Amino acid sequence: MPKKEKSLSSVFMNGIIAENPTLRLVLGTCPTIASTTSAVNAVGMGAAATFVLVGSNVVISLLRNIIPDKVRIPAFIAVICTFVTIVQMFMQAFLHDLYESLGVFIPLIVVNCIILARAEAFASKNGVLASAVDGVGMGCGFTLAITCIAIIRELLGNGTIFGLNVFGADYEPMLLMILAPGGFMVFGGVLAISNLVTQHFEKKKKDEKGVIHA
Amino acid sequence: MKLYLSTAPHIRSGANTQVLMRDVLIALLPTTAAGIYYFGLSAAMVIAVSILSCVLFEYLWQRITKQPIRIYDLSAAVTGLILGLNLPSTAAWWMPVVGALFAIVITKQLFGGIGDNFLNPALLARAVLLASWPARMTGATAYALPTCWSGADAVTSATPLAGYEANTMDLFLGNIPGSIGEVCKAAILLGLIYLLVRRVISWRIPVTFLAVFAALSALVGQNVLNELLMGGVLFGAVFMATDYTTSPMNPRGQFIYAALCGVLVCVIRNFGAYPEGVTYAILIGNIVTPLIDKYDKPRLYGRLKKQKKEGTANA
Amino acid sequence: MPKYSFKGGVHPMHGQHEGKMPTRNIPIRDFVSDTVCIPMGMHLGAPSKPCVNKGDLVKIGQVIGEPVGGLGLPVHASVSGEVTAVEERQHLGAAPVMCVVIRNDFADEWVESIKGYGNVETVDPAVVIPAVKAAGICGMGGASFPTHVKLSVPEGKTCDTIILNGAECETFLTADFRLMIEHSGKIVDGLRAVMRALNVKRGVIAIEDNKPEAIEAMRKAASGREGVEIAVMRTKYPQGGEKQLIKAVTGREVPSGKLPIEVHTIVMNVGTAAAVADAVIDGRPLIDRITTVTGCVQHPANLRLRIGTIIADVIGECGGFSEEPGKIVFGGGMTGLCVPDTDVPMTKANNGIVVYNVKDARSVDESPCIRCGRCVEACPIGLDPYRIKHYCDRGDLASAKEHHVMDCILCGCCSYNCPARRWLTASFKNTKDAIALEARRKK
Repeated sequence: MPKKEKSLSSVFMNGIIAENPTLRLVLGTCPTIASTTSAVNAVGMGAAATFVLVGSNVVISLLRNIIPDKVRIPAFIAVICTFVTIVQMFMQAFLHDLYESLGVFIPLIVVNCIILARAEAFASKNGVLASAVDGVGMGCGFTLAITCIAIIRELLGNGTIFGLNVFGADYEPMLLMILAPGGFMVFGGVLAISNLVTQHFEKKKKDEKGVIHA
Repeated sequence: MKLYLSTAPHIRSGANTQVLMRDVLIALLPTTAAGIYYFGLSAAMVIAVSILSCVLFEYLWQRITKQPIRIYDLSAAVTGLILGLNLPSTAAWWMPVVGALFAIVITKQLFGGIGDNFLNPALLARAVLLASWPARMTGATAYALPTCWSGADAVTSATPLAGYEANTMDLFLGNIPGSIGEVCKAAILLGLIYLLVRRVISWRIPVTFLAVFAALSALVGQNVLNELLMGGVLFGAVFMATDYTTSPMNPRGQFIYAALCGVLVCVIRNFGAYPEGVTYAILIGNIVTPLIDKYDKPRLYGRLKKQKKEGTANA
Repeated sequence: MPKYSFKGGVHPMHGQHEGKMPTRNIPIRDFVSDTVCIPMGMHLGAPSKPCVNKGDLVKIGQVIGEPVGGLGLPVHASVSGEVTAVEERQHLGAAPVMCVVIRNDFADEWVESIKGYGNVETVDPAVVIPAVKAAGICGMGGASFPTHVKLSVPEGKTCDTIILNGAECETFLTADFRLMIEHSGKIVDGLRAVMRALNVKRGVIAIEDNKPEAIEAMRKAASGREGVEIAVMRTKYPQGGEKQLIKAVTGREVPSGKLPIEVHTIVMNVGTAAAVADAVIDGRPLIDRITTVTGCVQHPANLRLRIGTIIADVIGECGGFSEEPGKIVFGGGMTGLCVPDTDVPMTKANNGIVVYNVKDARSVDESPCIRCGRCVEACPIGLDPYRIKHYCDRGDLASAKEHHVMDCILCGCCSYNCPARRWLTASFKNTKDAIALEARRKK
């Protein structure tokens, strides 16, 4: 549990690096696989999830002393559902293409583990401002991670990034990357690389500390 | 005088990994030769690129991860050759390279190298290529007709499974369109005989695989001989289902595994969306293998549930 | 004639007649060296206590080591002469062993107290087992279990079959083969003595079918003897393993962790039977044995060696090394024990001295398991050697035990067959020792 005295900026960075929901906590893998077929989809999904996260975190933080402990999960879900419905209707009205391509995965944000996990682990124990910042941080972390995966998948599977052709007309797209197995493979690969990088930095940090203390 | 000390046994059989892999390569020679004979130089190119890139990827990976270099055990070469034989002769040069990357790096090395991969590397590579470039792998233009009789390199066609008409003799000798290695059944049988004589593989997996497949095909009303000679079922049963690492260890488990593969091929061919199902059938068999190994144990000496007390002595 | 066999197993050195050709047709000859060094711990069980001192004069057959504990056996002087040392010396194991060194005076004087009981068919059955104990006989096939203990059927158990193991499935060795040809009568006498002692009606002499001469000789010797039959076994290793032999001959399986008496069977080596005959008929203690000397020696041979003969002398008798030796092994290629140097003496259980050249001796590096399943196919017990090896490598004793590593008979078939050259048998031995040690500590 994050401590009260933690600064807002560290709460924000926590969501992007130390506890990145996709790459460190490995939560919300379903939308990760489903919405990373193209970078646009990934950004859209990330933005929608971020909005729901911030909204639900704020409301749950406000209500945290009122909600009875025994029925907190249904209560959280009710709050999250509200925001998901708002997002869904908004997208249907103003971003119809994205709405069409994300399809069933927008209502499924309700069951996105990240949102419920943050409500349970953070918003129900922290103040409004910290919860809002946590929502933004987690949302950005999620969006960044899935956009990374999506860029790789779109590049290999379609030869484009955000719809812009990169490899030229001769490139024969590798269909597998757009399909689910490709999603798992790239997700695994990105996870491995992020672990490698984190380990490298942690080791460096340890070495530096060791030098100072020695 | 310095004497070595070691524990028993002090003698070892002649077989080692390299010898076994070399025997597999030798067994694949007739098939390779037949493929090149039928499809010409382009087939040779595909096979060569495939073997080279497999060995290269294995070498590079072991170099980068600072492992002992084991390319001389020839397992990468076997994977490369089988992958090459699994491709159509019209494959672009980069297809075997991508396949080798998936076979050696992702399927084999990421899971721990030789002996630790849970899927047959060459088969997974084929499945990846099949899913990524379906038109190039099996589409109407993928399979060249054998050049030696048609005389024209550009003629392409669907496989017999997708409606190409061929007589039994052509099916047996390989004068049909298809992947490089799967067309000539006579050559595959030669390889099978060699593997059996050299005791590299046992008869259990190929025979059970083919027998169950044939029986089931007869049951659903297919021409059994044609079913056996069409597509890659023979090649798969002899060279891919028998892969040591991804098939069960115990004789009984091997029967179960081979029967499962046989059933799946028949089911996919007759009731599935694909005309050919050998690749997926064997891959599913591979995935089931650890489960079979876990539950199928050889019977342990001296652990009878109930000892026959008086046995044969009083009889 | 049906040929008996078992499941699993291997055919080591099949193309080279199991390595037996050099010594197969060479008759047994005697060799007595001028010094012997007799270890006190030759049998399974506590080592005997030396009861002679430096400077004592001893005669052949005189007791020089007294039995200690329930599995104890007396040790006898194998030559006559002066005791020159009673001291600890390096032997096969890591720990040094108490040895009595005797300089041979070649007087060949036997101790007076030796007294035989005469014909085995008329002897009082009650004297057999004490005579076997007094003669210091232990299993001569390799395990060196005290024979009188083996023959003492525990309360509540019965024995209906005695199997003499003349399979000699091990590579290189022909000692039992020559014994069966040259002393077939003695073997049958020994078997009859034991059968009468235990009142057993069935005695089976099991011989592999690659030894037709031995089968012929034993058949002749056994004809007309009550209850003695010859069983022809298929040539396969480890046909002579106790459990495999019982399964092949009687169809019974020894329950895991139990002794053969559990299935009413006792298995003895043919060499042991011959020693029993000597002990009962002449009262002669176990002072010598037949040993195959082969491999890189000038003149491979089957020698009757006094217990305690130093192997350097034995190799000298065989004309010295024919190549630079890389490894000297007591016993055959599949289960033999390495000796650290040539000063090591002969023991009662040593049925062969095999010298390997440097090339064959060099140990091979392990490579990763390729899951070919050859170890599973070869295992005569029905274990999963590859899986147990995996646990052994991780030091996971509990899992190894769960997969029945304790049932392993250390026959070496899996290691022999492994194309990845993995040291399966070696790590099973270490693991079994570690588990046994842990069990003892808990007590």
